[in-house]
Amino acid sequence: MNQTLPAVVDVAARVTATTEVAEAFFQTRLQVPDAAVEPGQFIQLRPRPLEGTYPYLRMPLSVSAVDRERGLVDVLYELVGPKTVALRRVAVGDEVGFLGPLGNRFPEPTTGTTPILVGGGIGVPPLIYLGTTLRTGGRHDPILVVGARNAGKHLPDTLLDPASADVRRATDDGSLGHAGFVTELLTDVLEAGPAAPVVYTCGPHAMMAAVARLCAGRDVPCFASLEEYMACGFGVCVGCVVERADKDSQPSPYGHYARVCVDGPVFDARQIAW
Amino acid sequence: MTDLTTNFAGIELRNPVLLASGTCGYGEELVPFLELSRLGGIVTKTITPTPRAGNVPPRIVETAAGMLNSIGLQNPGLEGFVGDKWPYLARLDTRVIVNIAAPTADLHGEMAARLEEVEGIAGIEVNISSPNMKDGGMLFGCSPTASRQVIAAVRAATSRPVIAKLTPNVTDIVAIARAVVDGGADGISMINTLLGMAVDWRARKPVLGNVTGGLSGPAIKPVALALLWKVSQVVEVPIMGMGGIATAEDALEFIVAGAAAVQVGTSTFVEPGAAADIVAGIESHCEEAGIARVEELVGTLRV
Repeated sequence: MNQTLPAVVDVAARVTATTEVAEAFFQTRLQVPDAAVEPGQFIQLRPRPLEGTYPYLRMPLSVSAVDRERGLVDVLYELVGPKTVALRRVAVGDEVGFLGPLGNRFPEPTTGTTPILVGGGIGVPPLIYLGTTLRTGGRHDPILVVGARNAGKHLPDTLLDPASADVRRATDDGSLGHAGFVTELLTDVLEAGPAAPVVYTCGPHAMMAAVARLCAGRDVPCFASLEEYMACGFGVCVGCVVERADKDSQPSPYGHYARVCVDGPVFDARQIAW
Repeated sequence: MTDLTTNFAGIELRNPVLLASGTCGYGEELVPFLELSRLGGIVTKTITPTPRAGNVPPRIVETAAGMLNSIGLQNPGLEGFVGDKWPYLARLDTRVIVNIAAPTADLHGEMAARLEEVEGIAGIEVNISSPNMKDGGMLFGCSPTASRQVIAAVRAATSRPVIAKLTPNVTDIVAIARAVVDGGADGISMINTLLGMAVDWRARKPVLGNVTGGLSGPAIKPVALALLWKVSQVVEVPIMGMGGIATAEDALEFIVAGAAAVQVGTSTFVEPGAAADIVAGIESHCEEAGIARVEELVGTLRV
């Protein structure tokens, strides 16, 4: 857990490719001089504004793959607002501001544990990177549980397969895999009795809250990667906060809220007031 | 080489560029991105007499050419600041101005008196302008009488330069500026954020947990320039100008309009090294224009 994190850099990254990987989901590959990002850490990108100074703030994004030798960082995002549109529009060969890596990382699972990665929607990318890293190390066979609104919103096998040999899918409308929630699939996984399960989750707040509740009820460790409206990304604005579950035992009210950007984005799910 | 040194109300600054309160924490977080020794100084995040949790999230939302915040002064309190934050700030090779806020005039004075025991503080900036504080801040800054009382209480308790930070959310900012000078302010900082709101119409809800917040960023620069110019016409004390400064050109506009120094705020969130770039830009622009000392430019607007 207390591994040294790579130094943060404030540089220009070159876009080498942008491809549509699912319905309104895009993958952009960035060439970065020193592409050191650990699983769970995030970056703040600054594509050229659509017009004038809009959008103004940077866009925080998780990372789905890193190739340190070639200096490549992949991000996956859904077109949902002006920032993602701005990133989508960056031409191959053009540059974007790259600030990162920021925040903490997913804690490394110990030997003999079974990592279970539970993602939904735009929360899946950091779990892909985590799963891929765990498998590359050869010490773990993570199970990946992913949910999406429908089949078209699911990321393709080519992106999910590197992260897990055991991918289980759910959709809200039943158009692919299990019709229902990822928590139902997670229950099945846990019922099968894997050795020392450890859950890592990222996705919509309600989904993570349900996963956290399920894990707490079964005494399964759970680590959640949170998302909040964010301005700076490095701790000074104190905007991206979440309420701590143990706020009443904090020595002062100053500790009632944790900053997602520097205290997280990964938290032990029991620390959060869901 | 243009001489950038600036004397602001008795505070000797290496150059006229500082980081604004609430946008640079207590210095430490910015170290990976910015050599603070290249700046004139930094103004700490507001401290209050006792620790504060801050407002309910969401606290941030982007708006056209800017952002709204409703942080609500989450801070470790006066003693937490002195014990945990000041030791780091004291070692910095730049001027550190401490920003304070409190629920009463007397408590402002008590804070200034306690800070008098702390070595190395360059000045006290008094936040009578936060729109996110229900028990102080803008409550004082909207009233000339209350503004004067708060500043007078701080003035009586400290030997250090006292700078009043003004809110733009008033009918007559000149009256407030006169009142704080009357109360003994050695300088004025302006402007704090403009009261603003963002609405999610589908949910029929405000975006911010606190309903309203403070607007900052390039969107507010013209407002800041106009108010600063008006105030500079009627007060003798120096003014720190702020509000949407993102480039050296922006900073020079404030200086010409009457600012003796400037503060960079929201820009740091977008480009953490922005303030250092602004210092370098001011220097090169002044050299090109053949200006020997940046202080020569202050208030040179021809109307």
